[in-house]
Amino acid sequence: MTRKLLTGNGAAAWAARLAQIDYVPAFPITPQTEIIETLSHWIDNGDMPGKLVTLESEHSMITAAGAAASTGVRTFTATSSQGLLYGMEMIYTVAGWRAPFVLINVSRALASPVTLEPDHNDVLAARDSGFLQIHCATCQEVLDATLIAYRLGEDERVRLPVIVNEDGFYLSFTREPVTLPNSDEVKDFLGEFDAQNMHFSASSPASQAVAVLGGSPYSYFRYECHLAAEKALVVYDEIRDEFEQRFGRKYDAVESYHTDDADYVFFMMGCFATKAKAAVDGLRAAGWKIGLLRPRLLRPYPAQAIRQLLTGKKGVAVIDQNLSMGKGGILHSELTSVLYGDKNAPSILISFIGGLGGRDISQEEFFEMAKQLKQATVEGITPAPRLLYTADELRQIHKLQAIAHVEREAYE
Amino acid sequence: MKTASRILGSAFFNEGYEVQDAPRYGAERRGAPIFAFVRADNKAIDERGVITHPDLVIVADDSLVTVPAAGVMQGLDEHAVLLINSHVSAETWQQRLNTKAQVLVLPIKDAMQNRAELPYVSAACVGAAARLLGMISQNALVRAIDEELSHLAADKINTNRTRAIEAFELMTTHENCIQQRPSVSALDYQQPEWVELPFEDARISAPTIHASLTSVEVKTGLWRTMRPVIEYDRCNHCWWICSSTCPHNVISVEDNSPVIDYDHCVGCLVCVAQCPPHAIKAISEAEAKQSAVEQAGETT
Amino acid sequence: MNETQFKRMKDLPTTHLLGTGAPMCAGCGGLQAINDIYDVLGEKTVFINAAGCMTLLSIYPFTPFRGSWLYTAMASAPAGAQGVRDALDILLAKKKITPDENLTTVVLAGDGSTSGMGLSATSAAIDRNLDFIYICYDNEGYGNTGQQYSSATPHAARTSTSTGSAGFSGFKKDLFAIWAAHKPTYVATVIGAEPLDLARKIETAASLTGPRFIISLSPCPTGWGFDPQETTYIGKLAVKTGIWPLKEYKDGKVSHTKNPHVRVPVEDYLLTQARFKHLFEPKRNDKLIDEIQSKVDAYWAGITP
Repeated sequence: MTRKLLTGNGAAAWAARLAQIDYVPAFPITPQTEIIETLSHWIDNGDMPGKLVTLESEHSMITAAGAAASTGVRTFTATSSQGLLYGMEMIYTVAGWRAPFVLINVSRALASPVTLEPDHNDVLAARDSGFLQIHCATCQEVLDATLIAYRLGEDERVRLPVIVNEDGFYLSFTREPVTLPNSDEVKDFLGEFDAQNMHFSASSPASQAVAVLGGSPYSYFRYECHLAAEKALVVYDEIRDEFEQRFGRKYDAVESYHTDDADYVFFMMGCFATKAKAAVDGLRAAGWKIGLLRPRLLRPYPAQAIRQLLTGKKGVAVIDQNLSMGKGGILHSELTSVLYGDKNAPSILISFIGGLGGRDISQEEFFEMAKQLKQATVEGITPAPRLLYTADELRQIHKLQAIAHVEREAYE
Repeated sequence: MKTASRILGSAFFNEGYEVQDAPRYGAERRGAPIFAFVRADNKAIDERGVITHPDLVIVADDSLVTVPAAGVMQGLDEHAVLLINSHVSAETWQQRLNTKAQVLVLPIKDAMQNRAELPYVSAACVGAAARLLGMISQNALVRAIDEELSHLAADKINTNRTRAIEAFELMTTHENCIQQRPSVSALDYQQPEWVELPFEDARISAPTIHASLTSVEVKTGLWRTMRPVIEYDRCNHCWWICSSTCPHNVISVEDNSPVIDYDHCVGCLVCVAQCPPHAIKAISEAEAKQSAVEQAGETT
Repeated sequence: MNETQFKRMKDLPTTHLLGTGAPMCAGCGGLQAINDIYDVLGEKTVFINAAGCMTLLSIYPFTPFRGSWLYTAMASAPAGAQGVRDALDILLAKKKITPDENLTTVVLAGDGSTSGMGLSATSAAIDRNLDFIYICYDNEGYGNTGQQYSSATPHAARTSTSTGSAGFSGFKKDLFAIWAAHKPTYVATVIGAEPLDLARKIETAASLTGPRFIISLSPCPTGWGFDPQETTYIGKLAVKTGIWPLKEYKDGKVSHTKNPHVRVPVEDYLLTQARFKHLFEPKRNDKLIDEIQSKVDAYWAGITP
């Protein structure tokens, strides 16, 4: 066990190395590229076994990953943003193959306009694919979640591929102290890749991923994927306990921070949640009873745990670092759907959209969200969803538009 | 059958009915059994998709009737009428099928045996159906044929018309024999037997076939309308052109002689066209079945 | 390589490996070729399939294969082959499987995916020197969806998306040349109607390693408009007219394996198929027919027998 400064991408690469992966189909994209460069360097220099192959697209990369896993080797891959979307046909497709592997997604906002910094619309586009999703808030978590993801995906009760999500820049390029477990400890924890009855070999022919005709067999295969994803909640908790026992770090499916006695709760995902933690500390110092809930697992969705943790709370501020055009925040919808009909659920859920394209969320903004939340619970009125956007930002965009010769006056 | 469903749909439409017509697409290709549906009503039709309890079932190829996989008999009860394009009499079918549905037969044209009549089966079936339904005039029928077949040459349209009208006339005695079935009652209905789909892990529930050659269970021989028959006295035991070029792999060479697997031969007749000494002839399936019945009669 | 085991027609296999019961159209020229190819490649194969007609060879729970199969998607079958090949190599290297469990990795794709969205995946697989065989059944259109034109559709052919009086205005993409330009191990054209030529080429391909490509012109009764029994006849005509040159690329050289000394006029081929009927009815379109003939003539003018 050593503790060293690692970026999120470094942690992801170390996780792959410790997991003794056999195969890495790869394709470069900012801000993920460092992961495959690191692995490539290690493999080329004999620091780790395995084979890395650069495909010509993410679509091909994910195809190769699924095909290799289906043949019976432990597979790792990584992408980001446009790359995940370019491969999206195969994200849905390989999940149905029931071949487990781990894909690190380094979240980056989607075009258009094309940009580099993160939000979660990329990974949320894969929400309904059959891939499980673990969302990380620290570089340590990137490493640990990747190891957990292999155990989870490869469990015979689950056998689904897993996306481990880390935020671009804020984790991918940010160094933090990370504890690296010993290789042997990880080996004991993960075991050898068990291909179960997935293989291509001369003595036992198999036709995998074959077509079906009609809604009835289709319903069976799809719903079994769903049941396996749901089963992953139970399996996750078992793995969480074993991981804690072995490595001393505990990762509940939903992270809760000061929620026990809280009246008010921030609800958000990803590494900006650590900013919310800081805000919780600040608010508590000012006498607030407030906490934070952060789902680590998005798929399967830990609905029961969320309901329990929110029982009796007065209000929740959902901060979505994503946007479903024409609907609003996706986490807000997801949360609402599991609380509806629960008489102990908080009566107020406010939707905030913040952090799009890596736009910062300041401590003052967290404080103000808390204030509005409290006011809404007192008045019993849910305010309209709000984008975190300041007057100064609006002035700035107007300046940019002036330079771009946008003739504002002509159209007003 | 898609064409038949469209002609019938248009004919209903021409008579002022609300209509739905749709073919059912499967993976099977040309030659494979295909079915299509038509619904007509005086009011807007809200039901969709497969008709589970038909009022009228029309079978263009009688070899499908007795094949469970083809599903011809599904949902047939005393309310339904089954019209079969066949050489065999209605009485024989009624006995053979042991069904409560009324069975009628539209006699097969002799020229069916050389495929020439095949394209006109649809029109004939629709002509018969129109008369049975009693809701479609001959004019509306002909108009529908003209509309739906407008892409064909004039002589082909004419033959379609003629075949439809012939069949229309043939069914005079059964005119109006079909009654619309009452819709399913919400007060008294058969409860669906829903189950909780049990969780089965991926070793069982992945879409994987853990075996080889399972496709032989699919009897593609059903598709056949024409049957290649080897005249062994003319076979010159060449380099097995028939076996080598059969697209469907159904001709094997056993004891220095080619053998056709009729369970799977789809009747493409490539072998008939390719056999150098012309030792393979094509006969219609109807004819083949007829002679099989006759032979069976002689031996018993 | 060693001398061919297919010296004459009688040497062709008479027991066939591909299972019956596959739901392909009666008279399918693609299936005809795949049957012959499978007989030579044998059952120690895993087919990686791109979306197309042949995807329906395996419909749960039915498969006609003695060996294995993986359906991927339309654009990425070569990448699927990469994953399977690499995984098999890893398993062999780690001694997780014995060499006799090894499989030949074979991509099976139609002309639409091959010359369209699958082309970059194919090109890249050659860049990586992937050890695989790529089989393209070329029925000159998106056959599985009802024969819309693809970039493999020949000039002037009518398809369901080129219904005008001149048919398809584009020209058939030269996949053979595109592949050969990548300098892979082997490229060959074949046709099911010439099974001996086909068997020899598959035998050659199987004896080599690296990226190997087979393109099979596949007469398509439904898409081209002819009676299913004409499949072999039309296939032979494609060769006799010179429209479908049988050739191979090996060691940097292209050689023709069948050189029709007296070429039959292309008209004889065109007349057999409804997709070219508009060239003759209601009025003969000499300009287009001559254009097609002169393209074929120009091709062969550059070939030394």
